Amino acid sequence: MEKASTKRGNSLSEVRVHEVIEVRHLTDTAYVLRMTKGSMDFIPGQYISIGKVASIDKRDYSIYSSPNDEYLEVLIKEVADGMVSKSLRNMKPGEPIEVEGPFGFFQLKPDTLNERKHLFIASGTGISPFHSMVTSFPELNYHLIHGVRYGADAYEKSMYQSNRITVCSSRDGKGDYYGRVTDWLKENPIDQSTYCYLCGNSDMINDAFDILEAQGVPSEHIHAEVYF
Amino acid sequence: MAKKIAFKTLGCRLNQYETDTLISQFKKGGFEVVDYKEEADVYVVNTCTVTNKSDHKSRNTIQQGKRIKPDAVMLVTGCMANHRKDQLNANEQITYVVDNDRKSSIFSIVDAHFKGELVNPDEYEKDVFGFAVGEETIHTRSLLKIQDGCDNFCSFCIIPFVRGRAISRPVQEVLENARELIRIGYKELVITGVNIGRYDYEGILFEDLIEQILALPGDFRVRISSMEPEGFGEKLYSMLNHPKLSPHLHICLQSGSEAILLKMRRMYTARSFSEMVQSIRSVRPDMNLTTDIIVGFPGETDEDFQASLDRVKEMGFTHVHTFKYSKRDGTRAARAGDQVPEKVKSARSEEMRLLSEENKRAYRSSFIGKQQRLIIEKSGNAYSLGLGEHFVPVKVMGKKLPANSWQLVQIVGIESGDDPALIGELL
Ligand SMILES: Cc1cc2nc3c(=O)[nH]c(=O)nc-3n(C[C@H](O)[C@H](O)[C@H](O)COP(=O)(O)OP(=O)(O)OC[C@H]3O[C@@H](n4cnc5c(N)ncnc54)[C@H](O)[C@@H]3O)c2cc1C
Ligand code: SF4
Repeated sequence: MEKASTKRGNSLSEVRVHEVIEVRHLTDTAYVLRMTKGSMDFIPGQYISIGKVASIDKRDYSIYSSPNDEYLEVLIKEVADGMVSKSLRNMKPGEPIEVEGPFGFFQLKPDTLNERKHLFIASGTGISPFHSMVTSFPELNYHLIHGVRYGADAYEKSMYQSNRITVCSSRDGKGDYYGRVTDWLKENPIDQSTYCYLCGNSDMINDAFDILEAQGVPSEHIHAEVYF
Repeated sequence: MAKKIAFKTLGCRLNQYETDTLISQFKKGGFEVVDYKEEADVYVVNTCTVTNKSDHKSRNTIQQGKRIKPDAVMLVTGCMANHRKDQLNANEQITYVVDNDRKSSIFSIVDAHFKGELVNPDEYEKDVFGFAVGEETIHTRSLLKIQDGCDNFCSFCIIPFVRGRAISRPVQEVLENARELIRIGYKELVITGVNIGRYDYEGILFEDLIEQILALPGDFRVRISSMEPEGFGEKLYSMLNHPKLSPHLHICLQSGSEAILLKMRRMYTARSFSEMVQSIRSVRPDMNLTTDIIVGFPGETDEDFQASLDRVKEMGFTHVHTFKYSKRDGTRAARAGDQVPEKVKSARSEEMRLLSEENKRAYRSSFIGKQQRLIIEKSGNAYSLGLGEHFVPVKVMGKKLPANSWQLVQIVGIESGDDPALIGELL
């Protein structure tokens, strides 16, 4: 929850200018944009809104890096016909970039962090907030289900402990599981006490939500971050 | 001779509250407040920008003032002043464009203008809670502002971009404001803000604040105006039977379709919303529940809309504020491909309106034979009109009752029409 504020004016969120450090290409269409962190303070799971300087086109991206890192990273997948996701890929080190935020309530509950089992379900770049959470809280008891079309889209899989991640690839057999995350969920019922976090496209989230509720997970233990 | 000032308020309760307090300030400052249709030295338009229609209305209102008195000072504030600031600044009909968070400086700006000073509204202090209590505002009940701004960024909504980030008014200030309103004689305090359920001042949450307001001495009642479901915490349930809390809640559902709610980036499911309503009704079966529904959100199918109708029926909302989805530049939903044709939106809106009327009549009819404690809002020879604690309108025929007085009545009938008042007899 947003911290109480004692300021008197709630001006529109502050736009800060950061500097691009590097663009790390993961696949033909996915990349990690690393920027200077400045004074940005955030909670793992939150997102920022970014765009080129003086451009009115800003888009939201979950923060990929951890608050403990000295830089700020986002993981972006180019969208066909997309405006911002394509243009940010061509940014060069040293170029200024406008950043607003952090925003969002997609956060782990601090009181249950180390006790509870967490199930993270991501589609595509929806893995980004989980990357931030996992790298921020090394003791976290989690299992991450990553839905991708092709095994090659399992972004930086080696960053996660191998027994804690299951890549579900729906179009080739190159993941850990051949099929959709929803198929995996149906075959692997979830313990009702698990805290479930879902992130990515709304169709996947909608289906996964239904499956989890049918398996007895109470709705207050299911949290979602919808990208589109 | 006193300068004349006219106000026009568009949009939400918060705007109304802010205009009311501005009116008070100007009256105290020696201005004569006149109707917007009359000739004035200053016109203040408190704009709204939530839909295309509201933008259009705001523009018309500005022109209307300028037509009446072309050389008058035209001051434009409110959400459109934030969302379309450059456009408004370029409009030669407008003298000053004042941001939402500088609204409380409007008196100083106008005062400085007439003293011949060069005025730049952007140089005034930002203060979203800098409004004085209105002794002579337009209504018998008063709004009590506890919060401003919103961080939810629902995908259709422009408000976080124009009202800014969430900010909570200090507890002591809210309580002082409430005490002052009670002292002045207001009988009903309507809790107001952009997203009041997110109230959090140094760990004091919304429900804690409501508890403290209810504990204030005096004969008054509190109405929680419009809120988002996520603000509904456990403690609130225990307060639903408090004698000072009006049993009316306006909780925004927006859609009954799970798929659409996700696309809207709302933070609940229709199922969890329904469970919340059941819990509310288990504590307070006679609760008057009203809501907002958006029809024609991008991608809304006939099945999605049917789900909204089904939920409205199931939860028995007695009034549905139905909005036809309106594209707002800069919001995520505006970039979505599958926009719904205007004709379909209108048909859905009409269907929702009819259902809402049906629910309203059924709910209000259930009061026949029961009692209501009214606050008289309109006093006339033919009848006096009051609002009961459940936020239901009640007419007392042939009695000119003093405005702002409490009256206990027995409900004996209901009018015909789409917004039927109940008929009450004095006890
Ligand atoms: C809270 C939040 C966090 C997000 N985090 C990330 C993130 O970490 N990484 C990331 O890559 N994206 C993320 N997104 C999506 C991102 O904000 C943009 O929508 C996306 O990059 C496309 O922007 P664009 O300007 O390229 O496309 P636009 O020009 O905005 O859209 C072009 C078309 O593509 C559709 N579209 C939009 N987004 C997608 C999508 N993701 N997949 C397929 N079609 C789409 C639009 O409806 C439109 O029809 C997030 C969104 C939200 C709301
Ligand atoms: S919670 Fe209300 S004000 Fe905030 S973004 Fe959503 S609809 Fe707009």
